[in-house]
Amino acid sequence: MFKLKAFPVSPVVLLAFALLFSLGCALTEVATSSENTPASSAPTQSANRPAATPTRSGSTPRNTPAAAPAQPRSADELILPFIGGDPPTLDPAVAQDATSAEVIVEIYGGLVTIDKDLKIVPDLAESWTISDDKKTYTFKLRGDAKFHNGKAVTAQDFKYSIERAADPKTESPVADSYLGDIVGVREKLNRKATDVSGVKVVDDKTLAITIDAPKSYFLAKLTYPTAFVVDKANVDSGGRTWFLKPNGTGPYKLGSYNFGQQIVLTRNDIYYGTPKPQVKTVTLSISGGSFMTRYENGELDSTFVSIIDIDRVLDPTNALNKELTVAPQFSIDYIGFNVSKPPFDDPKVRQAFNMAIDKKTIAEVVLKKTAQPANGILPPKFPGFNDNLKGLTFDPDKAKQLIKDSKYGDVSKLPEITLNVSGGGGTAGPEMEAIVEMFKQNLGVDVQIQQQEFASFLQELNKRPNNLQMYSIGWIADYPDPQDFLDILFYGDSLDNHMSYNNPQVNKLLEAARIETDSKKRIDLYQQAEQIIVSDAAWIPLFVGDNYWLDKPYVKGLIHPPFVIPRLKYASIGR
Amino acid sequence: MTAYIVRRLFWYPILLFAVTTVTLALGLYGPGDPAQVYLGKHSDPETVARIRAEWGLDQPFQVQLFKYIADAVQGDFHESLVKYPGQKVTDLIAARLPVTVSLNALALALGVLFGVPLGLVSAVRHNRSLDHIITFGVISAVAIPVFAVSPFLQWIFARELPFWTRDTFGVTIGLPPGGWNGVFSASAVLPAMVLSPGYVAVFARQTRAGMIEALAQDFIRTARAKGLVESLVVMRHAFRNALIPLVTIFGLGLAGLVGGAIITETVFGIPGIGLLTVDALHARDYPIILAVTIMVAFVYITLNLIVDIAYTFIDPRIRYQ
Repeated sequence: MFKLKAFPVSPVVLLAFALLFSLGCALTEVATSSENTPASSAPTQSANRPAATPTRSGSTPRNTPAAAPAQPRSADELILPFIGGDPPTLDPAVAQDATSAEVIVEIYGGLVTIDKDLKIVPDLAESWTISDDKKTYTFKLRGDAKFHNGKAVTAQDFKYSIERAADPKTESPVADSYLGDIVGVREKLNRKATDVSGVKVVDDKTLAITIDAPKSYFLAKLTYPTAFVVDKANVDSGGRTWFLKPNGTGPYKLGSYNFGQQIVLTRNDIYYGTPKPQVKTVTLSISGGSFMTRYENGELDSTFVSIIDIDRVLDPTNALNKELTVAPQFSIDYIGFNVSKPPFDDPKVRQAFNMAIDKKTIAEVVLKKTAQPANGILPPKFPGFNDNLKGLTFDPDKAKQLIKDSKYGDVSKLPEITLNVSGGGGTAGPEMEAIVEMFKQNLGVDVQIQQQEFASFLQELNKRPNNLQMYSIGWIADYPDPQDFLDILFYGDSLDNHMSYNNPQVNKLLEAARIETDSKKRIDLYQQAEQIIVSDAAWIPLFVGDNYWLDKPYVKGLIHPPFVIPRLKYASIGR
Repeated sequence: MTAYIVRRLFWYPILLFAVTTVTLALGLYGPGDPAQVYLGKHSDPETVARIRAEWGLDQPFQVQLFKYIADAVQGDFHESLVKYPGQKVTDLIAARLPVTVSLNALALALGVLFGVPLGLVSAVRHNRSLDHIITFGVISAVAIPVFAVSPFLQWIFARELPFWTRDTFGVTIGLPPGGWNGVFSASAVLPAMVLSPGYVAVFARQTRAGMIEALAQDFIRTARAKGLVESLVVMRHAFRNALIPLVTIFGLGLAGLVGGAIITETVFGIPGIGLLTVDALHARDYPIILAVTIMVAFVYITLNLIVDIAYTFIDPRIRYQ
């Protein structure tokens, strides 16, 4: 998903905007994860995975021992902060943002899911077989799976759910992306068919799904909410807001939802999966702005740490330091080059711009370690991440030499350069300012920043070809497969490749990786492609997000995953 | 009087039509496309076209306009497109209205409570130092923009103050820097501090001006001449005459209750109409923008009418034909 900064703003305004709910997020993730956000969202892309747009809370006393009671606040309730504000929807077919997905994955389930080790594992399907032509997946459903109201989950329910997601009336923004590989989904979306021919009910507990070509990443896509199962009677009962009384299959049920205040999840005692959810009630607190204060007052069992509180929680002498967890995110901020526009039509110029930025200093000083420098395209720990990737490291002398070696020959011969960013504030944010300053100091190039609010920025970006020279944006993983980054963003014909980057060698590797079934070979193909892309300098990979969380000592098993997965079932309250 | 009211009511549909047309036109012809924002990274041309068709955005402007009006007349203000897909705009507004109204009402009440007495003192002490101090204070208060003063107040009262109080008293006295737990909670204090000075200033200035004029009238001299105590002169004779413009401001202030304080709600993360509007603007979520605009216009027109009618009760000399 897109990831945009929530309103880059000047330091003064930053404090104010720091309090925004992830407006940006929403924006960001519009597509996003959304996202944005403050997404704005970020354009509203407001959408987004939480990683992208954490709400920054105000803070309280520094260097004072946390007033946390050592005893659990309650034996059967956890109160957790809910970072993104009110979820735009709880309808799995419509959700495309992290805020919505975070709740949906607890309430609903699909054929497959992702476990805490980030592996794709069976969920409502207990097993599956793949045909010899690699195009038909036959899923065997669990015998014991039930909706929250006790009704058994059948193959018909899945057929209904997929066809509903692909129904143009559902207005799903992501049905093409996540289900479009299934034969017949695009026809249904375009009103050329009434059902989805690629989904067949073999019997009550057996479902066959046929896709249009062999795609090794297809299962990964089914972990996203778009492919989750819903109960037809439930959907038919409540108009377009039926999801406010959802009958799902997940480890938690929606107990109550008070707009702007809290979402209360209650344990599903007939949950089929493992582990069984332990905590009876999980309250997600939406009314934000002061999560850190409330955590220190013992009103919350966990909190996100904003950039203004980082210093004191990193201080080993502070009691809070023992409650700290660092959670790397599957997200990356980058600057994209339009390789069809001067001066970035010359790879040497792109490489020079890469080598002119000291990302490490920016990450540590400006971003206070809430991010780490990115070397390549894939974030650390993501499937396919390559430890041995040769990145374009900071080297101002070599950068200057590269400009001299380029077809432009000298800095003075470069055309005017504009960096486009999205946002609603006065400035583009401290890290963008630092980057532009480094271009000036290390290369002697003046780069102008042009800021547009998300909707206009998106419109510019989506023009084919677009008129931008370089732009700053981010990407958040949708599903754990390198295809989600490398193929979607760099394949020559991909709709999300806004750079006009089209390297035949890369295209070939990506095509081969799509159908390669040996996972080791497949990863190898992706790593080769990634190395070429990085050496070609199609991007300046900037930063991978690091989130900081505090958890009370009595909270056990609560994980802070790098992207949205079901997680509450692992949590318990100890002593 | 009845004829006057009927004539005024006649203008309702015309004004509301104009507001709707302009808002929709600005939305549809301005930069940005809601379908594109909705789809975000998945906004390939084919999908954008599909969603636009589903939303009726491919229809000609006048078709969209008249369909909207036809539905709105029957109370159907459509569904949110981008921000809260599928949720009825009326539900979204209803959920946020209490937040905005209660916050603005608090600010308005503080404005009257502090503004009117300050204006009275100012007028009685006309051109003396107390008058100058008050005038300087209220003009400064209204001149400093909300977006400048808010972060400053957050810094003082939510961040710095707690450290200081903990060191001094051993307890934390601090205000939440944002969020919303109701108008009677600590989270309302900072927003009210930011919102009320504008009201205080308006009421103080208007009271002062009206009182200075009233105090210069002949009947005040008469009242003093017949030996009335000064407080009675000021409150009963002069103030009553200064009341008319205050009622106007108060009426418009009431109308302003439903319009969100966009900047304040955004800065403090208060889930009211203002934040909804900003979110909708960023997302190009036209149904929300249209409905909020129409609601605010409707309330303003209505309160204007009520204020005009209220004049006849305060000042029997005012008559409408």
